[in-house]
Amino acid sequence: MNEWVFLLLFLAPVVSSIPIVLAYKNKEWTEKLPYLSVFGIFVSVLMSLLIFFVLEGQYRYDWIPDLGINFVFMCDYLSRYMGVITAVIAFFIAVYGLDYMKGDYRPSWYWFFFNLFTASMLLVVYSDNLFLLFVGWEGLGAASWGLIGHWFRDDDDIAYVGEAGRKVGPLGMSWPPSFGGWRAISTIRFGDVPMFLAIAAIWALSPTLNISEIEWGTLFATIGAAGTIILMLCILMGLFTKSAQVPFSEWLMTAMTGPTTVSALLHSATMVAAGAFVFIKLTWYIEPWHLHGVPGLESVYVLALFIGLISGLYGALAGSGMLERKVLLAASTMSSIGLMFAAAAASFWIHEEIAGMNLALLVAFWYMAVHAFAKASLFLVSGHLIHATHSRFLCGGLEFGKRMTPAFIVTIIATTFLVGMPPFTAYWVKSGMDEVMEHLIHDLGIIPLILLILTSVVYAGIMAKFLSLNFIKGDKPQHEHLEGGGLMKVGYILMVSVLFLLTILIFKNEETEGFRQAGYASVSIMVGLAILLAYVVGLVKPRISALSKLGTFFNDRMYLPFVNDYILPKTGFFVSHLVNEYGNRGIDGLFNTKVIPGLFGWISRRIRAIQTGYLSRYITIVLGIVMFILVIVAVGGVWL
Amino acid sequence: MDVPMMMLGALVILTLCSLLSFKYRDLGFYGAIVAIIIAFLAVSRSEPNLIYYSAFIFAIGIINLFSLKVIKSVIQGVDYGLVALMVLATLYIFTTQDLAMILVAFVLVSVPTYILVMIREGGANVEVGIKYITFMVLATVLFLMGALILSYTKSLPDAGLLYLFGYVMLVVGLCIEVGVAPLHEWVPDVFTSADPIPMSIIASLAKIVPFIAALWILIYTASSLTASITIFTAVLAAISMFTGNIGALTSKEHARVLAYSTVANMGYVLTCLVVVINPEPEFICFALAGGLLMLFANAAGKIGFFNAIKGEGAFSPLMYLLAFSFIGLPPLMGFWGKFFILSSLVKVGLSLFEAGYVYIALAAIVVINSAISVPYYLRLARELGVGWKANLTNFICIAAVIIILITVTFLPVDWFFKGMAVIAQTMGIAI
Repeated sequence: MNEWVFLLLFLAPVVSSIPIVLAYKNKEWTEKLPYLSVFGIFVSVLMSLLIFFVLEGQYRYDWIPDLGINFVFMCDYLSRYMGVITAVIAFFIAVYGLDYMKGDYRPSWYWFFFNLFTASMLLVVYSDNLFLLFVGWEGLGAASWGLIGHWFRDDDDIAYVGEAGRKVGPLGMSWPPSFGGWRAISTIRFGDVPMFLAIAAIWALSPTLNISEIEWGTLFATIGAAGTIILMLCILMGLFTKSAQVPFSEWLMTAMTGPTTVSALLHSATMVAAGAFVFIKLTWYIEPWHLHGVPGLESVYVLALFIGLISGLYGALAGSGMLERKVLLAASTMSSIGLMFAAAAASFWIHEEIAGMNLALLVAFWYMAVHAFAKASLFLVSGHLIHATHSRFLCGGLEFGKRMTPAFIVTIIATTFLVGMPPFTAYWVKSGMDEVMEHLIHDLGIIPLILLILTSVVYAGIMAKFLSLNFIKGDKPQHEHLEGGGLMKVGYILMVSVLFLLTILIFKNEETEGFRQAGYASVSIMVGLAILLAYVVGLVKPRISALSKLGTFFNDRMYLPFVNDYILPKTGFFVSHLVNEYGNRGIDGLFNTKVIPGLFGWISRRIRAIQTGYLSRYITIVLGIVMFILVIVAVGGVWL
Repeated sequence: MDVPMMMLGALVILTLCSLLSFKYRDLGFYGAIVAIIIAFLAVSRSEPNLIYYSAFIFAIGIINLFSLKVIKSVIQGVDYGLVALMVLATLYIFTTQDLAMILVAFVLVSVPTYILVMIREGGANVEVGIKYITFMVLATVLFLMGALILSYTKSLPDAGLLYLFGYVMLVVGLCIEVGVAPLHEWVPDVFTSADPIPMSIIASLAKIVPFIAALWILIYTASSLTASITIFTAVLAAISMFTGNIGALTSKEHARVLAYSTVANMGYVLTCLVVVINPEPEFICFALAGGLLMLFANAAGKIGFFNAIKGEGAFSPLMYLLAFSFIGLPPLMGFWGKFFILSSLVKVGLSLFEAGYVYIALAAIVVINSAISVPYYLRLARELGVGWKANLTNFICIAAVIIILITVTFLPVDWFFKGMAVIAQTMGIAI
């Protein structure tokens, strides 16, 4: 019975999107079949809810038991919540997509990869087996490539990222969809390979690949400090690239070339969230707070903490200079994900447990949940605004805001609930985060807390800027197209309403007790007020002309594109030039042109030179050989 | 009716039809076909496990007969009879356990080729005939002497030197007969000077019986000295593989490429004889299945390529399929031949423990040689491949390709190998 739940959960989205793939040439059918694809995701929603309420613990189905590779699913606290979050968000976005993607030039491609994306993330969420998890992980990679580069013809500026024609030094600051897709997959592969090696190493060293069953302490003790650091770094490479943490963040910015629905899904419940989620999940079972005796592990968690915090601040600052709707949100996502990494990494030093769960991990996870719904709502609103104004840049004044009331209200709710302003949803979670970072003062000093507060303040500012420049103080849009969009409105209204539900849960659930307590602490209240102030400033003064140069620097992502688009390719070309010019010449000479062919040619000619055509010569040779052999046998035989 | 009686009946029909073919030309052809059918029925009914072997020989024989229709020889009518005689001997060899009959079969396959090799349109190719016959006589004499000496040693308490002489003479005779390097000198000359059609028969049908006869006699007479002398066979096989494959690399004439390819292929098949070092049926069945599939693949390939030479090219995809089979690309027949040969080498090698590394190394040499052969087979396929024409040579090529494609649908592990495993039980038990 349970196997049917899992089968439907993972396969319903994929199978339901196959008909539209098969009917890709038939316009009439491709207009109707998206409903079937959405229904497939709805089945996943039902299954995830069933799991949430009914199933608990590990479920195992054999695949290659001899190799320890099996279908093992874990229905624990994390996966039961995350499964529902993923499925519900994907479903709401899919409903929105029915409207948003109408009239697109390749709906089959879109819906297949969209559903594959959802199914892959669900696999990542529920898998206990690392190999199975990696299958879902790679599914995410493939689907993200397909979706980011969906508008592969690069024929509409609306899908680009950056300003057309703008250059900084030798570097063009404009990226088309096809390039965005390529950049995403190439960056992710860069991290996936070490991650795969790490899984292989765990497979070789541990009797099981099931995350919940691996004896992490024993494993780390076997491989020593250097081994632990290398293993964890390899895993983190996969997670950091997927979650677009510095310095691997560039792909996420240019991923905004994909359809907005893709951006929404990519940023809330899949892909970038996958990296942070897997980190939380692994840490959940590694229980590093019990492994302080393991050499090397602390350095790994220090690294994860600071990469997270630095990414958080970097993302927020970059966002502060941005004027493109979706890219601004992308930068803010990177910032949020950074905070999730930081909070989860802080669990190493946090011993406080609520209902048997580590406070830091709970904070990280709940922040992920709140962020997912808020950010998805904002992206869906952006998509609607792009449709309505036909511009990917921030624009729209109060007049326009009044005509787009649902979008306006949803943006107000999503931003205020997300930034950590008291008393809205994220405030309680952020308070928990403040408390966690406060705990770290003893071990790591005040820097983590300062970085967190700075990030939160700038973050509040950019969210307010997004609201202000889209609905209150932005320029009047040159083009307004306000008809239709019914399903789009339904999509983001449903999405944002979940934030209220989350607030209720925070106040009702036993394990979120810690957040509530932290919310009343003086530090949290002060941070909350600072965030409120920053939000108001952002709202009133979304653009500060005196800081425009700094803004441009931030908008150019502090010139990080140079690493991706200039330094790395140039190095690559240099190496390939070396290989081509010198390496190949040697290999060619040995195998293709000189040494081996020459040798074989010479021997071949010698062999053929025997054939002169004269019978007498042949007889001499053959009889000679026969006689020689017989003599040898005679001598050898006597000797034997 | 038992096998000898039916064979005798087939021979009578064959002789009468050959005689009458001087007056009624087509009678030779039909008589040959009837004789082959009778022999096929006789053999496959007497031993059901031989049905697959017999079917292959039957198919190869029939294709050979049809290919003779491509040329107008001066002895047309009799030439069908000669080919049918070879088929009869090849079918017969597994049904007898009598040394004399095995040697008769050996001679019956050898002698008709003396005449066939001289066939050409409107005359006789005497020069080629002399070259060929000289070596064949030498080979037959050495083979017969070796066989007789070996069987004589069986009755001696301590054969010693005599066994070694017998072994070497038999193997050397075999090598000259089928063209194993360094005793292959006649092969490139004869293959290039003779007409392609008779060459396709000599390169296909005539190669099978000598191997079976040699394997049978060697298994029957295996003694304590076998272990010391088998390395001699292994060395010859390795020399032949390298000589054939490397020689073919720079040969330009198609027939000459095929000549060196034969030298190489006979090297592969010769490796099967090392199985006598540990003549247990569990190893013999691998060697037997491998050697025979290799010989069948070689026969089909040679028939196809020689007919293509005769017809100035054949349909390109057919040529490539034959080339892939020669190279040993799975799941074509050439692959299965090499696969079973390699299995037999590795199994025998492992059964001998440390002394067996030589034979595992020989298996590696087979693999390396398969790689060396890739360029010239592909070149051959490219140069001989042309567009489709509905003529007899193309149909013969199709028939040859069907043979090598059989293993694609039916994995020989299930049928051919199982049949040969039963035959291997009886090999060498009594003569």
